[in-house]
Amino acid sequence: MKKLLIVMLIGGSLTSCVTVKEYEKVNINDPDMKLAAHPIERFEINFQVYREGASGGNGGKTGGGCGCN
Amino acid sequence: MQLNGMRNYILLCTGLLISSMIYSQENGAGYKKRVLDATEVDFLSSYYKQDGNNASVTGGVGTEKLTDVTPTIVVSMPLNDDDVLTVDVGISTYTSASSSNLDPFDSSGASGGEEDEYDGSGKANGAITGSPWVASSGASFQDTWGNIGINYSHSSDDRNNVWGANASFSTEYDYTSIGFGGSYTRLFNEKNTEITLKGQVYLDTWSPRYPTELDSYVDAGSNLNNGFFDGVDILDQNGQIIDKSGNSGAIWSPVTGFELINNKSRNSYSLSVSLSQILSKNAQVSLFFDLVQQQGWLGNPMQRVYFGDRDNHYIGNAQNIPNYTSSSNTDVFQLADDIERLPNTRFKVPIGIRLNYFINETISLRTYYRYYFDSWGVNAHTANVEVPIKLTDRFTIYPTYRYYTQTAADYFAPFEQNLSTQQYYTSDFDLSKFNAHQYGMGVSYTDVFTKFKVWKLGLKSIDLRYNQYNRSTGLKANIISGGFKFVLD
Repeated sequence: MKKLLIVMLIGGSLTSCVTVKEYEKVNINDPDMKLAAHPIERFEINFQVYREGASGGNGGKTGGGCGCN
Repeated sequence: MQLNGMRNYILLCTGLLISSMIYSQENGAGYKKRVLDATEVDFLSSYYKQDGNNASVTGGVGTEKLTDVTPTIVVSMPLNDDDVLTVDVGISTYTSASSSNLDPFDSSGASGGEEDEYDGSGKANGAITGSPWVASSGASFQDTWGNIGINYSHSSDDRNNVWGANASFSTEYDYTSIGFGGSYTRLFNEKNTEITLKGQVYLDTWSPRYPTELDSYVDAGSNLNNGFFDGVDILDQNGQIIDKSGNSGAIWSPVTGFELINNKSRNSYSLSVSLSQILSKNAQVSLFFDLVQQQGWLGNPMQRVYFGDRDNHYIGNAQNIPNYTSSSNTDVFQLADDIERLPNTRFKVPIGIRLNYFINETISLRTYYRYYFDSWGVNAHTANVEVPIKLTDRFTIYPTYRYYTQTAADYFAPFEQNLSTQQYYTSDFDLSKFNAHQYGMGVSYTDVFTKFKVWKLGLKSIDLRYNQYNRSTGLKANIISGGFKFVLD
């Protein structure tokens, strides 16, 4: 719970950052700046779910859908 | 007079039009860019190969050789300006030496000959053998996992609200899954801040398969002179053939109270929250966490456990019993004490952060960190860094490195180190303490003008990735993935 509060606190403080206008988002909108795994990474995430005890938090499965964890 | 009236009318209309345009611009309700311009088709595939010495089907010793091929098609279709439908269809077909040893006594495996196999009729023939180090070729040697998923999303006119819904169905020979979920994304602060809530449910069902000797024991009515065991010699630790009647000395049996599983469901419920924030013209960050609750049969009924406090019994070549945990053992197999038993609930919490930084026109930095903990005692850290480098306006390379470390689950112990007095136990090394390094390289080709055509499809991008994965338990894996993205004219 303490860790969750720290994450929420950091998250709250981030919203006070400067506002970037739409016309200033050229670099932010670069495909490599996307805040997600590449679509082709799905296969790597899938085998990691099988081979590791941890899962979730990356857009992949959190459990279910296969006989893995 | 008429002229003045006309002039006033034109002025009024012009004023209304300008007011309307200003209102529309302020509210973003004027020109509306389509969420997805045209139908996109992704052809994706991967080839995965691994090897190691801690197969969980054979209790934590034995070959982990496995190959997996996964062709997949993803089609995203704009239904109108605001709505997108995505259909994701894929299969995963694998061959696994470990899984094959669900029945290690197959004729094409270690036992070799034509007359010494267990033919499934309830009785084994002749002097059968097996080994955790040699693949068999029974039904469990290969399998195909099939999946179809449908996702629908709707964006509001100002693109500040996005609703999503999804459903999926997947099946493999011992497992089926039905999934559904929904999500809501809210953008604000001039689209600098984004919050997403997502809920997901999987309702899964086992069609359990068990180690041959265990379900044969049940089928034989616990009589070692019946069914599969009829005419088969069982050896003790010293390689001596036991009296299966039990009239002289100990006989083999599964752990006291052994029973096949009665709860065949495995349900997963997850709630995900993420917050994304643009930090500057060149940096953005995302924070996220999931809350996952799983219920049902969370162990794998295929995975054997051998207890350190029970006598050992074997089928096969007595001379190789001392070499049992060595890969030189090709013809003796130890009979299991039980399948793995794990709690019927598991609560999992991954918490993470992504931070991307646009260094310059050539180089970007993509970073990822996740902390994970669950109610089984697994604590894990994952760190990933990727540095996209634009070689030309069409080619980008992606060197990547990932580090992973975890503590062992409370119920894990290696081969022969669990005790029969425990309530829960497993020898699955995926739940052991280890760390792993993953190195990789990707390359991407992008043509925004889609000049190359196949029928009505224009090629938009090609992606290739290769990764090598080394685990401190000795498991090594390689995966190569490829993808072609086409856009429908």
